[in-house]
Amino acid sequence: MAYPNELIRNFSIIAHIDHGKSTLADRMLELTDTVAARDMAEQLLDSMDIERERGITIKSSAVRMFYTHTDGRRYMFNLIDTPGHVDFNYEVSRALAACEGAVLVVDATQGIEAQTLANVYLAVDNGLEVVPVINKIDLPSAEPERTAQEIEDVIGIEAKNAPQISAKNGTNVQAVLASVVDIVPPPKGDPDAPLTALVFDCIYDNYKGALSYVRVFDGTVREGMRIRSMASGHEFEVTEVGVFTPAPLAVDELTAGEVGYIAASIKSVAETKVGDTITSAERPAAKPLPGYKQANPMVFCGIYPADGAQYGDLRDALDKLKLNDASLSYEKETSSALGYGFRCGFLGLLHMEIIQERLEREFDLDLVTTAPSVIYKVKLTSGEEQMIDNPSNLPAVTEIESLEEPVVSATIMTPSEYVGSIMEICQERRGVFVDMSYIDGSRVSIHYVLPLNEIIYDFFDQLKSRSRGYASFDYELKGYERSDLVKLDFLLNGDMCDALSTIVHRDRAYAKGRAVAEKLCEVIPRQQFEIPVQAAIGGKIIARETVRAVRKDVLAKCYGGDITRKKKLLEKQKEGKKRMRQIGTVSLPSDAFMSVLRIN
Amino acid sequence: MAGIYLHIPYCIKKCAYCDFTSFACGGVPEAYADALISEIGLVSRAGEYPAEFDTVFFGGGTPSLLSGDQMRRMLGALNESFPIRADAERSMEVNPGTSSRENLFAYREAGINRLSIGLQSSHDALLNVIGRIHSYAQFCETLSLAREAGFANINVDVMHGLPGQTQRQYLDTLRAVCDLGVQHVSAYALTLEEHTLLWEQVECGDLTLPDEDETADMQDAGFDYLESRGYRRYEISNFAREGYECRHNLNYWENGEYLGLGVAAHSALRLKNWTRMANTGAPDEYIRLLSRGKRPVSETIRLYPADEMFECVMLGLRLVRGVDRAAFQKRFGVDMADAFPDAMEQLRRRGWTRESEGAIALNRAGLDLQNEALGFFM
Repeated sequence: MAYPNELIRNFSIIAHIDHGKSTLADRMLELTDTVAARDMAEQLLDSMDIERERGITIKSSAVRMFYTHTDGRRYMFNLIDTPGHVDFNYEVSRALAACEGAVLVVDATQGIEAQTLANVYLAVDNGLEVVPVINKIDLPSAEPERTAQEIEDVIGIEAKNAPQISAKNGTNVQAVLASVVDIVPPPKGDPDAPLTALVFDCIYDNYKGALSYVRVFDGTVREGMRIRSMASGHEFEVTEVGVFTPAPLAVDELTAGEVGYIAASIKSVAETKVGDTITSAERPAAKPLPGYKQANPMVFCGIYPADGAQYGDLRDALDKLKLNDASLSYEKETSSALGYGFRCGFLGLLHMEIIQERLEREFDLDLVTTAPSVIYKVKLTSGEEQMIDNPSNLPAVTEIESLEEPVVSATIMTPSEYVGSIMEICQERRGVFVDMSYIDGSRVSIHYVLPLNEIIYDFFDQLKSRSRGYASFDYELKGYERSDLVKLDFLLNGDMCDALSTIVHRDRAYAKGRAVAEKLCEVIPRQQFEIPVQAAIGGKIIARETVRAVRKDVLAKCYGGDITRKKKLLEKQKEGKKRMRQIGTVSLPSDAFMSVLRIN
Repeated sequence: MAGIYLHIPYCIKKCAYCDFTSFACGGVPEAYADALISEIGLVSRAGEYPAEFDTVFFGGGTPSLLSGDQMRRMLGALNESFPIRADAERSMEVNPGTSSRENLFAYREAGINRLSIGLQSSHDALLNVIGRIHSYAQFCETLSLAREAGFANINVDVMHGLPGQTQRQYLDTLRAVCDLGVQHVSAYALTLEEHTLLWEQVECGDLTLPDEDETADMQDAGFDYLESRGYRRYEISNFAREGYECRHNLNYWENGEYLGLGVAAHSALRLKNWTRMANTGAPDEYIRLLSRGKRPVSETIRLYPADEMFECVMLGLRLVRGVDRAAFQKRFGVDMADAFPDAMEQLRRRGWTRESEGAIALNRAGLDLQNEALGFFM
């Protein structure tokens, strides 16, 4: 029997990283008796180890709870948790498309951050009602009144009566639940109309197989039904429908307005596209639900197994990760330096780091990654246009008419005393100032247009360190701009190492070439001969360093007790050499690539 | 040739660079001396040892922690139990911080005829940094007492590449040692072993070692100096006056048989196969096993002929005179150059070899990069 729509509330929580989103979600689960306090692991919805360790949410997750309101009625809440990092904006918009409302959590000690603003606008654009909540009032430096004022001034929503809470201590969280009932509208939708269900996420469950997270807008879906993907036209049979409590729990049906999952005889998540509309095969809907902005990878890098024999393992691992992360893209790539590997596309640098970390931790792989790159647009003299995501594929200089690079519109929010140093960072990174406005007496919002390749390395870290952690940052892709870019190559003993090539702005090429050459000199072990390390633009050498030849490589002592040990040592040395990458005549340890990455 | 090695795993204090099996103790416990004598008896009765021994070597640890009486008992037990040649070389290591006149005389009387004294450096500040318990003056005192006691075959250990050491300081040490007229010098490059005190100090930045080039320069200068003073280099780190090469160690490098007795001691014996054995590294266990009449062997490795052959190359190429071709041919039925044609080609291409009808050896360039050279034989 369908739950009455007027008693359903579907909402997300949006917040800047560290503002307490996952903690608030935990408290809600406790207060509604969805999860007993004793079973609570800190940040319950963050099920990945990496999420808990880094204190961030990477994947959306959905959970159903029941709340008894002051009017005595029992409401069904479907909470869709969302990531708070700029890289995962895409996941946020997916989650929002399934909701009627959003709880906006603002840290009373920090105020509104660039990220918050971006997500609130996303929510408002999606027609969601926003429930403002002021968190961390237990901290001595909390300024709830000022934060409320800021919410009103900057976002333009009523916040005077916003619940002032401490999610950590559980203070006033009840008021948040009440506000959700009062402010978030119930879902509309007809349980008897043809089925339309929006797929807003997919995961792979080891026991149930591929699970599609869905929000049912119209109609009803139940076990045994034949359903159709409106995007692909493929039909499947539903093997189970269920809700997350937060563990998956099978239910009889999901009806209009509800959120849950569908398990079907779908071999892999790849066949159910996120953003797809699922309908009934027998009684299909006339047209699909409006999709939402598809996320495109913006940052690319080559990922190679440190040990070439692990190529197959790496491929399997990527396949598995892809099941849970539709935004990850990869294709086979070959490098003369690194052998067989994959060119992988990510939403941003954090996404890239997380994937790398998961590959290494969850799949026990030893990886070599190349420098991250953005997608460049190349206009050829022939009039053709090419998109290049791997610097080594850049055509010869003579064939290039012009090069364009992606630029982003960046919003940085900061206490005004850091404006100077933040503008300095943006200037250093070829930023073009757009405007600046005061949020209140002491905080400003600065806008810049910045080349994407200037922010994919350590821009965010720099921003944080030069503003003592106060500045926040958000960006969106603005388009492509023509730029004086060059390909910077590195030669070891005369042989080019393709995995080290990068595309940089001409003004940066010399400094970067020198820095990388110096670093290589540090990390390349001395070999039997002297190795020139050169940086080059086109055919022109712009920097040269030398790795001197090894002078002594011998065990000083070897007596009776040392013989077995010495043999093992020699074997280890030989093994180590085998694991090194061979660039022409030069042996390069895998971590040489990684240490060069850290230079910018 | 064959030798007997006895390990004395006790030191007043462990040196900062040392990763050998040794334990801090003011003297050698009687229980250990007794256990060692029991082991001598057990091995002798088991009968698996070479027909004749040419050398005996007391290493450590600090063998000069042995009392005169303990040394007498041990050498007595050895002579009773094993066929040791009358003219055998009988060496012991001596720490200048532990050697009394009385003991040195007692060692000589008991039959020790060669001393290896650990000096390391003639600079007290450096000695202090690496955790040695003695001064340069104490070393000089020990040396003169040793001579008084009748020792006329003396080695001195020195090291280069010590934290903060300069080439001048190193050459000072060598000059002092040569001026004192010892017969043999072992000149080691400091090896930074993981998890030693020194390693930790270097890791955390409290101490800095000379860089690769400085150390290599010191080594080259030191070798030239020693040769100029009439000490001929006969092994990677060893120099001797004509006729004073250490016979016990030569036997290791010729991959000969040896019997190792004591905690953590290793043996290499020709049983059915070429066999390496190691005793337990724990003194308590060693003593307990022997008190029950059990052999304290904790590891036995039987080697295939191919491994034995590689060992002959690995050890023989440490010697300046190289691998004796006739001995190799006799042992394996094949000439070394024929057994390793590819490796030999690689060495020749790099100009690292000295080959004659009698031997295959590495020249100075090859000896400097012996590990790389051996890589070709693996």
